[in-house]
Amino acid sequence: MKRWGLLVLTVVLGALFVGAVGALFSWASPQSRLPVQAAEVRGTANTPKGVLPHAFLEISSWADSMAGNCHGSDGGPQPDWVTFCPTTNFQLPANALVTITVKQYDGGEKITNPFFARVHGTVGGTATLNGKPFTQIDPAKVGHTFTMHSISGEGQDSVFVSVPLQLTDDEAVANVVEFSFYTPAAGTYYWNCEFPCGDGTLAKFGGPMATQGYMAGTIAVV
Amino acid sequence: MSDTLVEPVEEAPAPEPRWWQRPETKSIFWLWLTLTIVGLCFSWVPAWLLGGSASDQMRDIEQTMTIFTAAAAPVAALVWAVIIYSLVKWRYKGDSPPPDDAPGFDTNVPTVVIWVIGSAVLTLFVFVWGLIKIADIPSAGGVAALPAGSAIPIEVQVTGQQWVWNFTYPGLGGIQSDQLYLPVDHPVTFEVTSNDVTHSFWIVQMGVKVDANPGAVTSTVVNPTTIGTFDIRCAELCGILHAAMQTQAKVVSDKDFAAWTAQMKATAPAPLPSDEGGG
Repeated sequence: MKRWGLLVLTVVLGALFVGAVGALFSWASPQSRLPVQAAEVRGTANTPKGVLPHAFLEISSWADSMAGNCHGSDGGPQPDWVTFCPTTNFQLPANALVTITVKQYDGGEKITNPFFARVHGTVGGTATLNGKPFTQIDPAKVGHTFTMHSISGEGQDSVFVSVPLQLTDDEAVANVVEFSFYTPAAGTYYWNCEFPCGDGTLAKFGGPMATQGYMAGTIAVV
Repeated sequence: MSDTLVEPVEEAPAPEPRWWQRPETKSIFWLWLTLTIVGLCFSWVPAWLLGGSASDQMRDIEQTMTIFTAAAAPVAALVWAVIIYSLVKWRYKGDSPPPDDAPGFDTNVPTVVIWVIGSAVLTLFVFVWGLIKIADIPSAGGVAALPAGSAIPIEVQVTGQQWVWNFTYPGLGGIQSDQLYLPVDHPVTFEVTSNDVTHSFWIVQMGVKVDANPGAVTSTVVNPTTIGTFDIRCAELCGILHAAMQTQAKVVSDKDFAAWTAQMKATAPAPLPSDEGGG
């Protein structure tokens, strides 16, 4: 009997140890401590889907982390990395119309996959660039993209929103890109930039492209 | 009357039972037989766990999985039978260490012969079966392996980049989508590549899993046989959001596929002079 008791105790202690290590790593991860920017609901909108809450979110993209003032005055641990600001973790209301405004302060070049030079999944299939509607931009003039998608294997509603952000010729003057889409049911969704703007590793998909807080993040739909 | 000295006759020791007559052999045999039957009865489970078949290729994979499981059942049952019998019957229950066991066998010719021949036959069967099934897969340059009279495959260019898939149909005006639409009972050729690291294009229920390599195009052909929505995943660890690299394959009727392509063409932006096509 004592032997069985020791066996059970060993298993329980082992499970607790593994759980504690996992919790410690999760807590220590810088990504778990990213601030969350919640979209601001400003009334309702009449849509083909009915009257829905209308929420707004404003973000910006920068050539390095010294700018934008979202990684500290010294640029944080990777001051040379390209970044979105003020954060890359967002909270949006479920089953709502959301309008996102991106101020694009970064340059760019030709995108490797023209699919992402086109607008996908927005209301009307369009976005606006400095107030002018567009459905695609010149693939040679892409700065970044905002690309959000669902995880079909988790039973989420199918969502795919991708909008190209045209490069700016003068990094002191932003290109303003605005687009709207309908949010799905509650859940955690992911977004990232699909323009290869990383640090040179992994065909420029490494570094900031693969790091939440810079060019990738989560969208909590609540 | 003379006393006759009768020498006591020593009883001949009982002959050692042959190995198949030993009680432990009989017990292990019946245990093996029971476990083998159980294994054979449940040999369909691994194929069932794969999630259903939506293509000819997946049906072949399921069939292979079931037959291999059935072939492995007697082997696995023998291992389990010996282990279970040893644990139950030969378990030492004393507190102090058990006495030394008898010296091990040097060799046992019948056992070796059965073992080698049995293993060789099973391995050869698996090898030949695998070669036949691999030859049946119409992959790069193997479109000719499609059944006679098959329609010309629809070409779909598949591009993976962290952490999304996108699909281009060059034969349908270059329409592009984040979801894969396919007509039922019509062969499809996938031209798979990647824009960054190595991904793996996996349509779970169709039995399609092919690497997406940067700078290279890998082809494979599939014939969807079931209308429905199926899972597409990345099967190669490709970064922090690898687990989120999923989308859907929608297999629809010819009529619905024609409607979808018409809608995509109608809503597609005009091509740009510098647009060089998908991926």
